[in-house]
Order: sequence, then C-alpha cells, then structure tokens
Amino acid sequence: MTQHDVIPEARLSSPGEQLKTPGIDPASLPFQWQRPHIAVAGAVLVALAVGAYVLHGQGHAAPALSLVFGAVFGVVLQRSRFCFFCMFREWYDDGDPRGLFGLLVALATGIVGYTLIFGAWLPDATTGRLPPDAFIGPVSVALIAAGLAFGAGMALSGSCVSAHLYRLGEGSPTAPFALLGTVGGFMLGFATWNDIYLSTISGAPVIWLPRWLGYAGALLAAIALLTLIAWALSRTSRPIDSPSTPARDLPEALLTKRWPAWIGGAIIGMLGTFAYFRVAPLGVTAEIGNRARQAASTLGVAPSRLEGLDTLRGCISVVGDVLLSRNGAFVLALVAASFAAALAAGQFTPAWPSRGQIVRGLIGGLMLGWGAMTGLGCTVGTLLSGIMAGALSGWVFAAVVFAGIAITLSVGRRAGLLPRPS
Amino acid sequence: MKLKSILAPAFALAVSIAAFAGPATAQGGGPLVTGEWLEKNLNDPKLRIIEVSVEPGLYERGHIPGAQNVVWTTDLVDKLERDIAKPESFQALVKKLGINDDSTVVLYGDNNNWFAAWGAWVFDVYGVKNVKLLDGGRKKWEADKRPYDTKAASVQSGNVKISAANTKLRARLADVVEASKSKNAVIVDIRSPDEYSGKIFAPPGSQELSVRAGHVPGAINVAWGKAVAEDGTFKSKEDLKKLYAEAGIDGSKPIITYCRIGERSSHTWFLLTKILGYDVKNYDGSWTEYGNSVGLPVVNTAGTVWGVK
Repeated sequence: MTQHDVIPEARLSSPGEQLKTPGIDPASLPFQWQRPHIAVAGAVLVALAVGAYVLHGQGHAAPALSLVFGAVFGVVLQRSRFCFFCMFREWYDDGDPRGLFGLLVALATGIVGYTLIFGAWLPDATTGRLPPDAFIGPVSVALIAAGLAFGAGMALSGSCVSAHLYRLGEGSPTAPFALLGTVGGFMLGFATWNDIYLSTISGAPVIWLPRWLGYAGALLAAIALLTLIAWALSRTSRPIDSPSTPARDLPEALLTKRWPAWIGGAIIGMLGTFAYFRVAPLGVTAEIGNRARQAASTLGVAPSRLEGLDTLRGCISVVGDVLLSRNGAFVLALVAASFAAALAAGQFTPAWPSRGQIVRGLIGGLMLGWGAMTGLGCTVGTLLSGIMAGALSGWVFAAVVFAGIAITLSVGRRAGLLPRPS
Repeated sequence: MKLKSILAPAFALAVSIAAFAGPATAQGGGPLVTGEWLEKNLNDPKLRIIEVSVEPGLYERGHIPGAQNVVWTTDLVDKLERDIAKPESFQALVKKLGINDDSTVVLYGDNNNWFAAWGAWVFDVYGVKNVKLLDGGRKKWEADKRPYDTKAASVQSGNVKISAANTKLRARLADVVEASKSKNAVIVDIRSPDEYSGKIFAPPGSQELSVRAGHVPGAINVAWGKAVAEDGTFKSKEDLKKLYAEAGIDGSKPIITYCRIGERSSHTWFLLTKILGYDVKNYDGSWTEYGNSVGLPVVNTAGTVWGVK
C-alpha cells in the first residue's frame, strides 16, 4: 500500500501539491481540458442561486440565505482548503504554519464581527443574559473528552466533519464513509448522553467571556491570545521548500490555485458574522444530528428523551421534522458548491475507496460523531463559532481537539497504524 | 396656499372617514393597533413598543424600530414558583422598559401574538393602563412589508407604579372547580378539538404533560384560531360576537378561559375582555394544573388512559 492510498486527504492539501492530477499544465487546465466541467460547475452555482431566489420570492428569506451562505462556505473551504486537520498537520509535520494562520485570521475577524453584533443586540454584557442562539456551551469534563475524541477522529479519518463535507464534493473516497460513521457516532452519542449529561454537564458552568471581561476586555484578550499563538507558530515554523509559482492571471488565481489560507480565513470570519447576524451561527452538524436522531429513534437505539439537550445553547439536535431545515439547506449548498469549485479547478477526482479508507473513515467518523454530539458541535460550531462568540467552551474545545490530533498522530504512527510523513 | 388650506382639512376628513370605515377594533384608541398606525406613530415619545416572542434570536435579528425585548420565560413568570412574575420583579421590569403613567404600550410577537397576549394579561393584572396589541403581530407586520430594525432601544427609566395583582382577571383552580360545579361562570377551553376530547394529551412537541387527558366538565370548546383571520389579525367585533354567541358565550355570565399552560388562552382572554368587553378571568394553571389534580372530575370522550393506549 503506498502512502497515497493510506491517507490521501491530508497529503493532497500539502502546499506544494495543489492539483490532484499531476502532469497537466495547470494554467491550461480549466480553460481547455475542462470546458464542459466549467459549464457544469457554473450550472450548479446557477441552480443554487435560482433556488435561493425562488425561496426568497416565496417569503422564505432565512432558508434562501442559508443556501447562499452554504454555497459561499463550500467554495471558500474547497478553494482555500480550509481543513482544520490539514492546517494542523501541515504545521505539525512540515513546519508550515500558513494554514493555522488562516484559522487565526478567521477567528480574529469573526470575534470582531460578533462583538459588533453583540454590542447592538445586548448593549450590557453583564445582565446575566446570553446572546441568542450563539454556541456558548458548558465547560465540563465531557467537553474535554468530546474534543479529544473529535481530534482523534480527525486524525484517523483525515479531516473534520466540515472538511469531509467539502471533500464529498471533490469525490473523496473516504468522505462518504466518514460521514456515515459520523451519523453512527451521533447515535452512540445519544445513547451515552443522558448519563454523561447528568453526571458532568448539567452542573457545569456556561462561561461567556464578555460577561466577565466586558466586550472590550474580551475582544482585547482574544486578539492578544491569537497574536501570542501566531507568534509561537512563527517561531516553530520551518522554511517552506516548495514555493508555489504565482498564478498567471486572475481566473487561474481564483479557479485553479489554492487560495491563501488567510484570505479564506478572512472570508470565513466575515461569513460567520453575517450568518449569525441573519440566520444562525455557522455550524454543519445540526442537520446531521437531526437525521441521526430520527434514525436512532426509529431503530430504538437512543433514549426518547435526551435530558437537558433542548435547553442548551448551541444545541445541535432539537428534532426538526421539516423536509429541508435551514441547516440542511446550508449543508446541501456547501457540498454542491464545493463540488462546483472542485470541478472548475480540475480537482473533482472520484475514486474507489480502498479497504483502509473505508475502515478509517468509519472508525474516525464514529469518533467525530460522538465528539460532535457530546461536545454540542464540531470544529465549525463549537470551535469556530464558539470562539467568535466569546465562549470559553470554544477555546477549551479547540485546545483539546488539537491535542487529540497530536496524540493520535504520534501514537498511531508509533504503532504503525497511521502513515509517517514523507 | 389657498389650495393647500382647502385640501388639508379635506384630507383629514377623508382619513377620519377611512378610519371609521375600517375594522372597528383596530384603532389607536382601542385595544388593538394596526401596523399602519404603529408605523406612523413610531416616533411618538410616549409610545413603548414591546416584543414578546417565543423563538430566540427573532427580536435581535429584526424588530419593530424602537421595540424592546421581553422574554416571557424569565421576565413575565417567576423563575422558581409556577406563578406570574412577582410584583417586585414586574415593577422593576416596567421601570426598565421606561413605562410612565402617560405611556401607551404596544405589545406584539411571533406565534400569532400568543405570548404578547400573555404579556398584555400580566400587564393588566398589575394595573398598567393603556396596553394594546399590534393586530396580527410579527406575521402581519412582515406580510405588509413594514421595516425592521436591529438596534437595541434604550429608554429612560419609567415612573409607573404597579398595583396589587387584580384577582378579578385571574382564575385559580378553586374558581374553575366552583364554576364547573355551580355553573356560575362559563368555562372556555380554547385548545384544539383533539386536546379537548382527550384524544391527545398535548400538542406535538410539548413536553409539559398532564396525567389525564380531556377537559373540565362543562367547558365549551372554541379553539383560539377561530378568532383570527388568515393574516393573523383578529376578526371583526361583529364576527367575534357571533362566533362566541353561537357557542353559547354572550357575556351574560362571567367567563374563564384556559388552555394548556395559559398562553393561548390569554389570546382569547384578550379579545373577550378588550374587544367584546366581557368579564373574563384567565386560568393560567390551565390543563397542566387541572389535568394533574387528584380527585377532580374530567370529561374524556376519547377514552384515553395515561400510559396505556
């Protein structure tokens, strides 16, 4: 088994390897070989736009906006390869901090945006009230366990839930199994929820930093911490040995080349702000959780009543029986738009899965699902949207997710279960 | 100038005629205000607009300009006991909302104004005057394409002093049991026919259940939704009068309204009291109190039994 077979997701995102099909002149790729692909990609985006237009015309503004936000998110994730695992691995293995810088930019942009919104919605942060439906969760041992499991699931399956969704649009052989595993993991999470909730989560503190530090204090503290992390990352980075050639023109820069991670991060920070302002914070697991809960109750594997879940902030699993929820529209648009973006870039390369990919996808997905259920969200909801919202739970989740990746990579490689970096 | 001086009174006359020709219940002076009236009067310094919605985040993402947010689960009820907000906390709330003796308070919300009506009832129980509902609530305001705002309103503290809770507006369990026995008051069950008959214990998605299904003996079922038009506004006074008269409710006897937790019945309480002028008590204990009480008679035409089906 070559290494490429073993863990293609992570390798593909390394900075020197921006195209899935080597040997073809990248500049000519989208415009000569891929003309029909461009047309299909354009058609997908137009279909999403028409869907949003029609929904909006029928008075469903929020689902229409969800479609648009999901499409933008899908394109940005695909084009800038905004994958939490790859960002971490590029730094961990290759000493390349650019991906993680992108994450820091996303957080900084989002924190500023959220602070602007909070100031208008809740002028006084100390009243005891929390901003509506932001991802501000309880900080408990369960959150730490959830983050570690989620991180391990990322290392095993090669990405987090949002990245598997955009990779689904790239034809990834692992993503379908990882997402299937995620649904299974959610069911496992429902089965263990009541015990975990009653023993650790129900009494855990829900800490919203602006309540303690004020808006200005929380903003300054967060920016200072992000700066400190950036400084630490830049100290540990190594010279990057494969500088990519600059794009010849704008179409190539937009459609073919990987966008710089910090640009992707800035767009995601703004998107997070806009999405929170108009519909709901960014998150990709609410709909997966809903479907898993429906399936679990049909199969009788989850308790019919999940204690406290419906009252928790950033709640991911209020049962919805609508055909297409807002989050469902968001996730569908994400996958469709990342497919369009991958197609236009010549990065839509469906492949048959190997047995290793299936097994790692399912097991990793199971851990992703359990972690997302128990942690009340994933790297997008609890981590990204949570930190943007000034939730301590977001920071704690971030720390343990990355620790979980590092531990799993280190132990897995030593045991020969995970490939070593080339 | 001359033309203007002739046209201005003519216009005013036309407006007042139009106002009289419209639905008689939806004027600035009555218990209801229309979106049109509200939009014209947004800048009136004596106006206090208050949103009471159920869905979190709705107010923050867009509310009627100048509106303040009231959360029914923490502001309008006591957080520990099952009771309406205690006088001290309600006094603090109305002060914070900037309500003065000469203020006009307009309440509105999502879900057909259910919780806005609950708010109007609590305001009335504590004797706050000049409290009105925006006819049709958020739904109608949006359908009319009127604007929203996202800024939190800030107002000066108000000076209104609330009075002791008015027991004439609130029925307790004993009042309902007495009315059911002696027929000294008409009891109106405003829940759906399936809840009334006992086929179901509560509407889908409602966690607060009762151990028995059915209704209070003697209660008349007029589902709250019958009182509203397609666009969410109340039907005309005449139609409402007819609707309830046909069910045997004509205001000749005191009335008690109830539902499951007392919020939908506030909607019916509002219209019967404020629009039709009847003597009405809202029973906020409602079916989740009565249906859980030991030893009280229940009518259950569906024959459901708790825990067995």
